[in-house]
Amino acid sequence: MIDKNEGLRKAKDIYANRAHRVKELKAEGNKIVGYPCMYVPVEIITALDLIAYRTYGDMAEPVTEADRALPTAFCPIMRSCLDCALKAKDGFLDGIVATHSCDPQEKTARVWESYIDYSYFHFIDIPGTLRPEALEYYKGQINDFKKALESFAGKEVSPEKIKAAIELHNRQRALVRELYELTKPEPPLISGTEILQVIKSLMSLPVVEGNELLGQVISDAKERTDGPQQKPARLLVWSSTLDTLDIMRIFEAGANVVVDESCGGIRAYRADVKLTDDPLDGLTDYYVTEITCARTFREAVFGEARKDYMADLESRFGYLKEMAKEWNANGAIFLLVRYCDPFAFEMPGLKDYFESFGIPSTYIEYDYTQGSLAPLRTRVEAFLETIG
Amino acid sequence: MAAEAKKKVINRLKSMYPLRGKVNETYLKSVEAMRAGKPTVWAMLNFYYGDPIIKAMDLEVVYPENYGAAMAAMGVAQSYLERADAEGFPTHLCGYSRANLGYTSRMMKELKGEIPPEAPLGGMPKPIFLMASTAVCDARYKWFQALGRYMDVPVWTFEAPIPGVKELFMEGSYERMVDLGVKHGREFVAFVERVLGKKMDWDRLSETVDLMIEINELWHETNELRKEKPCPMHGRDFWSSMSPALFLMGDLKDSLQCFRNMYDEVKYRVDNHIGAIPEEKYRLLFAELPPWHSLGFFDRLAERGWNFVIESFGYHPPIPLDLSGFSDPLERLTRFSLQVYVAYYKDALEENVPAGSFAYPYLKYAREWKCDGAFLHPLISCRSASTHLPYVSNVLMERLKVPSLTIEGDIVDLRLFDPEDAISKAEPFEETMEHYRSIRRQEGLDW
Repeated sequence: MIDKNEGLRKAKDIYANRAHRVKELKAEGNKIVGYPCMYVPVEIITALDLIAYRTYGDMAEPVTEADRALPTAFCPIMRSCLDCALKAKDGFLDGIVATHSCDPQEKTARVWESYIDYSYFHFIDIPGTLRPEALEYYKGQINDFKKALESFAGKEVSPEKIKAAIELHNRQRALVRELYELTKPEPPLISGTEILQVIKSLMSLPVVEGNELLGQVISDAKERTDGPQQKPARLLVWSSTLDTLDIMRIFEAGANVVVDESCGGIRAYRADVKLTDDPLDGLTDYYVTEITCARTFREAVFGEARKDYMADLESRFGYLKEMAKEWNANGAIFLLVRYCDPFAFEMPGLKDYFESFGIPSTYIEYDYTQGSLAPLRTRVEAFLETIG
Repeated sequence: MAAEAKKKVINRLKSMYPLRGKVNETYLKSVEAMRAGKPTVWAMLNFYYGDPIIKAMDLEVVYPENYGAAMAAMGVAQSYLERADAEGFPTHLCGYSRANLGYTSRMMKELKGEIPPEAPLGGMPKPIFLMASTAVCDARYKWFQALGRYMDVPVWTFEAPIPGVKELFMEGSYERMVDLGVKHGREFVAFVERVLGKKMDWDRLSETVDLMIEINELWHETNELRKEKPCPMHGRDFWSSMSPALFLMGDLKDSLQCFRNMYDEVKYRVDNHIGAIPEEKYRLLFAELPPWHSLGFFDRLAERGWNFVIESFGYHPPIPLDLSGFSDPLERLTRFSLQVYVAYYKDALEENVPAGSFAYPYLKYAREWKCDGAFLHPLISCRSASTHLPYVSNVLMERLKVPSLTIEGDIVDLRLFDPEDAISKAEPFEETMEHYRSIRRQEGLDW
């Protein structure tokens, strides 16, 4: 009997036991390299025949060990990530690549490197702006990363191998975009909850296996007859990281999440890495310019002598307006993780921007604990009542 | 009379007062400049990268972070914090930023650009541009970006790279940081020229950079003298004097003379065995920013014989570096600025402390300044100044058997710091410090 939802079921299983496959691969002699943030150029890890594995926190796991290393008033996601690492939940990792994607990531990296003795640990500094000299600096940083990883892998990587890895990851990006096409119909052919399972699965598998999974999921979703029900609201969700089904289920109790612009959603897949002669040029441009995390300082015009508020908002958030239109969203939730400064500063401006094109929005804060789910549910329900 | 006597427990340096006065002078000058139609800039603490350039362009500059501390110390921050909350900014944001966002909202939305009458030190006038920095925390450029909601003022975000410790020693890494700084500095000069409509006087920039370097070298040497027992200069004098060196507040030639006077006064105390407090029983390290609104609590600890002999690395001058071989002032400036972070990296690598800037300096300080304990002050709304403190506490204990006392507080919100609670913990912590003194001796450490 053919399992019509084989891909979706597989993604669900992988989500529930993310490390299963990489542990198998490790047992076969592969090296697994963890990364806690999407700003790590995973293409270089793939090009060196290593397995990239995204480390996440665990909202269901109370933070205990990280208390000795980080204060309580601190990014709860990074606290949870470090807590999991200190409890050896990702003890199969051979190494970690951390980045300066935000201040908590940068500070946690130092502590992480101090407390856990990995065979390999590398830190990539990332500039805050998109200026040409900043990109040049970043290219040097990823070249250093490449060299350090070559040394760890015990071999050199050619530009051709990096280009081939870029193509594989671009294929994944294209497939994820295709997946999100399936949320455009009313009702969507796949739910936000299912997509989150798929995205976390992709970040737990070698890229080739992830691409196979995507192919299956897309095919399943197109064929299925038991897809999501149509709900009164079609939501755009914007967040730093949305990595927990419990939250997505709260949203989808009263709405269809049609697009999730976060680290657990489409953000890492919206654009492709350009295939440049020197592949590091394409990677530099992609990782600093194309990823739309609030951590990057963007402006309408480089070195503008006078600021226009709406033009500024347009340059920073215009892509969200396009997404809202393309997915026909009628509401937006800005999900803020407590103590996340880059996203927190955006809240009033982002609300102003969404008001300017008539899509109701709200910002909801949570602290990455199970205890935050009940108040979050209340806030979500109240918001959905206003747009339903 | 008794209260009067208590105030004098800390033997304040006479040479501190002119330096402290430069802070007030800076704000008043910025208001005068506005009245005279001259432009003013708001800047983040940028660890030198941009300050000499602004200074050389003859711009008056004020520092909202520093002003946030002033508002807190003068008890007027609260209404601005509440205003920022009402505007929709999350309450867990940096206290300085919330105070400034509230201030700017009131100035621009309610008063149409006029300085709020209740603003202390004459207030901060509307700037011609904002100079942000990526150094230390995300707030210090996201905050200025968020001000676009109230002011049509451009923002320049200064890049401040911070590599990993071992990564710094990869081939070409340091020079690439220098390259970034020089190119970025040149672009910033072009931006300021465009905004002001006038050209940079490069000779003046060169002179400004040299003065900055000289001031900070003297300031460094002065703090080195604090290794003496008894320590001749208390932390309160450090906090009162740092701004003209760290923010380049005031006239630099005058500041240089003030720092010379301070060096001489501290040296005199060293030569004559004069301590900053009458009886130095305990030598303390302080991290990070102090509770600006409750500085008097240092006096109460001084009564118990606590001398604060060294403070947070980020506010101390960089370890001196010979920059005479670099003719380009932007290159001298960049290398000097980079020194704030990377000066400690080589030793940190050798001692295997991957937190080369935010934790390693405290290990060095505790060892060289012979500290009996560390007073750690995590700030609820300044996470970047707090993140590393549990780690610092662990490293100090593991490597040097130096205990830490952690008292939570805030830089602006005075409700979050309880001086009575801090004082109540002093006595048991003294016992702890005594205990670890004997442990250190047993382990062959010399203090």
